[in-house]
Amino acid sequence: MSEPAIRTVGLSKSFGDFHALRELNLEIPRGTLFALLGPNGAGKSTTIKILTTLLAPSSGSAHVAGHDVSNAAREVRRKTGIVFQDSSLDDRLTARENLLLHVTIFGVPAKERAPRVRDKLAWMGLESVADESVRTFSGGMRRRLEIARALTHEPEVVILDEPTVGLDPQTRRVVWEHLAQVTAARDRTVFVTTHYMDEAERCDDIAIIDHGKLLTRGSAREIVGEAGLGRLIVRTADDERTAREAEVLGYRASPGPDGLQIQGAKPEEMLARLAERGLGLREARVLRPSLEDAFVALTGRDIRDETDAGAGRHAAMRTRLRARGRTA
Amino acid sequence: MSPVVREGASRPLRPLSPLATDLAAIVALTRRDLLRFLRDRSQLAGAIGRPLIWMLLFGSGLRRAVAGPAAGSLDYRQFVYCGAIAMTILFAGMFQGITIVWDREFGMLREVLVAPISRLAIVLGKTCAGSSVTLLQALVAAAFAPFVGVHFGIWDGLLLLGSMTLMSLGITALAVAVGSRMQTFEGFGVISNFVILPLYFLSGGVFPPEGMPEWMRAAVRLNPVTYAVDLMRASIGQPHAFGAGVDVAMVSGFAVAMCLLALLSFRRASH
Repeated sequence: MSEPAIRTVGLSKSFGDFHALRELNLEIPRGTLFALLGPNGAGKSTTIKILTTLLAPSSGSAHVAGHDVSNAAREVRRKTGIVFQDSSLDDRLTARENLLLHVTIFGVPAKERAPRVRDKLAWMGLESVADESVRTFSGGMRRRLEIARALTHEPEVVILDEPTVGLDPQTRRVVWEHLAQVTAARDRTVFVTTHYMDEAERCDDIAIIDHGKLLTRGSAREIVGEAGLGRLIVRTADDERTAREAEVLGYRASPGPDGLQIQGAKPEEMLARLAERGLGLREARVLRPSLEDAFVALTGRDIRDETDAGAGRHAAMRTRLRARGRTA
Repeated sequence: MSPVVREGASRPLRPLSPLATDLAAIVALTRRDLLRFLRDRSQLAGAIGRPLIWMLLFGSGLRRAVAGPAAGSLDYRQFVYCGAIAMTILFAGMFQGITIVWDREFGMLREVLVAPISRLAIVLGKTCAGSSVTLLQALVAAAFAPFVGVHFGIWDGLLLLGSMTLMSLGITALAVAVGSRMQTFEGFGVISNFVILPLYFLSGGVFPPEGMPEWMRAAVRLNPVTYAVDLMRASIGQPHAFGAGVDVAMVSGFAVAMCLLALLSFRRASH
């Protein structure tokens, strides 16, 4: 099937005069582990609500697993597995009962319900607590159970809204190992929103949105490269001459404590071109910015008031380009 | 953890048809609420205690206050028997609306909202679930019959059960309609009290409408609970005001109308 897992065209949503989502165009091929990043109030939740048919778009269209969310909601729901940000388990029921309820309301035939539930519980390592009340579960166990649940009806697309918030590092790792397995199997697509940059870096494909608009799209490497935050630090026979040569090549150069700092999108390429000119290179280091640096550079801030999603657009743009590089 | 278990090993799914999924969902949602109810000891205790209190209060307390035969040849305990069952259904049924507020508050409603089932199936599932829990409590109330001098055979008992079921469905559907629109538990409590008390006192269940002023008697004739109580009385051979056919039509009509209202209000609230 060549139809993408998720496709939005000019997707917009307004609440009164607040534009939560503006003309979002996204195409996510099947089998992708995809991350949607953005500060609070950027439009991530609105996007998820539209993709899961809980909210109707104001204009534009969204297709999930080949079906239009506006007029084929039932098909979209059948082919989508969802893990919400807040738990949606029934804590008076056992783990198994929660999953059995899920497969029943998701149209799994009666004969297949129990085996599928058993398989997914085993996959998540929850079979030993399958018949215990969810009330006794820790946050990590609940989250794993919800991920298992989202997969019991064999969805083509799995959507997870901040699946690892509040989890300990061990559980976060378990969750991500499982998500990687989900995409590896059967061309399934995983769409995840997250605040953790290390998690986003695990994904094949990342989109960063802010103020309801798509800012950039690509692999972590591409996004970091495009942000143009790469730096090269060199010591040469004559740093002043090197600086002039760098300016000629179109790079910005400035002297620093460790040597001459040269800024540009592709530090390796800069290094190669400078080396060609025979400047007597003694030492060179490539400082690679992190995805977080690129994120902050693109969205203009790294902290936003969680409760005040709408006010973000009025806030003064505070650009903080952090020069925190990592030695490559 | 058990890293040996692989994901994606299971066979591709051939899902049930939309109608079959809807029906399975109604059964599953009913089962879920019944399980929750049976596991909650305080709710169970309330379910048995409430009808017991009504029967004691009405059967013994009010009996002394109301002198002489209340209606025809019945003494007051016998007269109020069906009224006390109706009271149980009203309270228990309206209380079921709270489970909707509860499900919204604790996230479970979202899981149901993203399932590939129709909104009608969700509303009917909640209504069937609530009615089952309500009917269980009404059965406890009905079991007091021998202690209040009410006697009937198996056939009449089945007719009474049918009447209680119809009323439970109607009242629970009304509760689902109200619960869908309520954002808080407190709000639901206020509204449900405004619904329960007039419906009860203007039903002819506690005192006969003969002594009421004309405007109240008009209200009694408009009250669906009047026909439910009348139907229960008819089914166990007590004197009643309307024909059983009229009663069945009124109570069923009310139940269907409330299901539609519940569907409308649920659709409005969940989009």
